[in-house]
Amino acid sequence: MAEPAAAGAAALDPLEPRHLVAPHHDDKSLNDTLLDFVWQKPGKGWLMLFGVTLTALGGLVLGVGYTLAKGIGVWGNNQPVGWAFDIINFVWWVGIGHAGTLISAILLLFQQKWRTSINRFAEAMTLFAVMCAGLFPLLHTGRPWFAFWLIPYPSTLAVWPQFRSPLVWDVFAISTYLTVSALFWYIGLIPDLAALRDSSKTKLQRILYGIFSLGWRGSGRHWHHYKIGYLILAGISTPLVLSVHTIVSFDFAVSVLPGWHTTVFPPYFVAGAVFSGFAMVVTLMVPARKYMGLRDVITERHLENMNKVILATGLIVSYGYMMEHFVAWYSQSQYEIWTFYVNRAQGPYAGVYWLMIACNVVTPNIFWFKKARTSIPIMWVAAILVNVGMWCERFIIIVTSLHQDFLPSSWDIYTPTWVDWTIYVGTLGLFGTLFMLFLKFVPAVAISEVKELQQELKHAAHHGSSHHGVEQAAAGTLTHGAH
Amino acid sequence: MDTPVLESWVLAEFATPDELVKATNEMRLKGFQGMDTYSPYPLHGGSEALGLPPSKVPFIALGGAITGAFGALAMQTYMNTIDYPLNVGGRPLLSLPAWVPITFELAVLLTAFGVFFGVLGLSRLPQPYHPVFEHEAFRSASTHGYWLSVPKLAGVDVQDVQGKLQSLGATQVTVVTGEKE
Repeated sequence: MAEPAAAGAAALDPLEPRHLVAPHHDDKSLNDTLLDFVWQKPGKGWLMLFGVTLTALGGLVLGVGYTLAKGIGVWGNNQPVGWAFDIINFVWWVGIGHAGTLISAILLLFQQKWRTSINRFAEAMTLFAVMCAGLFPLLHTGRPWFAFWLIPYPSTLAVWPQFRSPLVWDVFAISTYLTVSALFWYIGLIPDLAALRDSSKTKLQRILYGIFSLGWRGSGRHWHHYKIGYLILAGISTPLVLSVHTIVSFDFAVSVLPGWHTTVFPPYFVAGAVFSGFAMVVTLMVPARKYMGLRDVITERHLENMNKVILATGLIVSYGYMMEHFVAWYSQSQYEIWTFYVNRAQGPYAGVYWLMIACNVVTPNIFWFKKARTSIPIMWVAAILVNVGMWCERFIIIVTSLHQDFLPSSWDIYTPTWVDWTIYVGTLGLFGTLFMLFLKFVPAVAISEVKELQQELKHAAHHGSSHHGVEQAAAGTLTHGAH
Repeated sequence: MDTPVLESWVLAEFATPDELVKATNEMRLKGFQGMDTYSPYPLHGGSEALGLPPSKVPFIALGGAITGAFGALAMQTYMNTIDYPLNVGGRPLLSLPAWVPITFELAVLLTAFGVFFGVLGLSRLPQPYHPVFEHEAFRSASTHGYWLSVPKLAGVDVQDVQGKLQSLGATQVTVVTGEKE
């Protein structure tokens, strides 16, 4: 290798000419870079952003308070549009969460090494997005203090939930998803919390991080159980994440409404979820890596890979749209044809429809070009457009199918009220606030995993630059040690 | 009042993970038992070097999966078929296909609990105090240090252990004493 052994972390694959971890780092400098942001006093930028998100969170308190005081009649929902912002935002937020699990679980099973520096970040995003999502159905019950009625418990009413309903499936899917994501995130965090405990400067910090790290000491026995446990969690999170949006899509697909009653919904919803989730990761990652000094571990290569995923899932979503329109025509059902070709494309919400097409079908195609995939401003704008487009998609699916169904006499127009908008913006505030706190109090990058990756890359560099080198290196250590 | 039972370990730090794994292997082959390694990330070949048996976490997880799946099936059947039979559009009272989503979700949920509490339980965590923490330099174990502990059992000559560790490349060797867990 042309480079000196000390910089061996730069194990350069001839096919992958860019770094996963900048080559000049060792364990100690990685600690310093990655832990630094936690130990620094909050900067002006952080405080300002935190102020913005807190203000938006205030909007949530206002909107929710008003809804609770007055009842959900203050929303724009009407007959026939009994479901509107509450379910649109629910589906949108759950979808955003999916990228986190995809990165932490599916890419781990596929041994995609580039996931390592972004998984913590994306998992936190999952957790907070699912929390925001959960708020909407709870509020939509009208009396959220009775939300525990959704749980099957032996009540004096002697009534049980109706398990044939996709809405009950949703309760189980979302609460399982939230719980498993939280466990996965926390178990991955424990070694880094221990690192924080051991590098803390005051007694209070040491005690607090000491409590949350549960006394982790990185013992060989801990890692022994931890490694297999982490792998199993990844293994079960993979089907879980696919099941969650599948079940969310059942909320629609199981009904008989034109535009909802289609078999393409589950895969198309899952692809859309990953699409919007990755777009959100890019949206958040671009500023975060710049201001938190993470450019050495979240490199251009990570961003480019994420943009490739956005392109791929964007194409799947476009295919979903195509199939919906094709099947509507092929079925020759007048209601289906009306919904897709007249109501959606030319009706009162046509503007939202064409914005959706522009953002979701046209925009991702820019990532065919390497220049766009690697240009920070282009990818940031494109990612935001995708988020807008995916929100429009949920609006279109939900509102247009409901506001004009089979009977023209029951048709009506849906318009959101200021309460709807306040609660929606408020959940953005909740998400942002939790995210800012996350960035400040725990390492945004999984430090122990990055170090492990760096060690693997070093081995690969010493034993030839192929990926097989990693296994050979490990085996070499073993046989060598056994003599 | 009970007098605390004291236990001692010889602690050695190594410069690189490879040296630590190699040293652990050699010490195990020399017959030392109850050793443990400490590192900021899992060591390649670390479990083998310590001679650990396969982890039982997968069995606990499997137990969780089976409990979750059968529990969910039983719950739904009892609630919607037996205790409060609910006729929805003339569909069979035992609608197994409709039970599938919740069965799957609860299986996953209990598997995850099994893994989480399995990993913590088998690692004997949470455990805020451990004698190795008595040594200030040991703080590096979670960031950039690679440590090996050898228990000071009856009949073990500390000087001899320290010498052996030093000849294997340890950068520092000390003895820590603390309360037995």
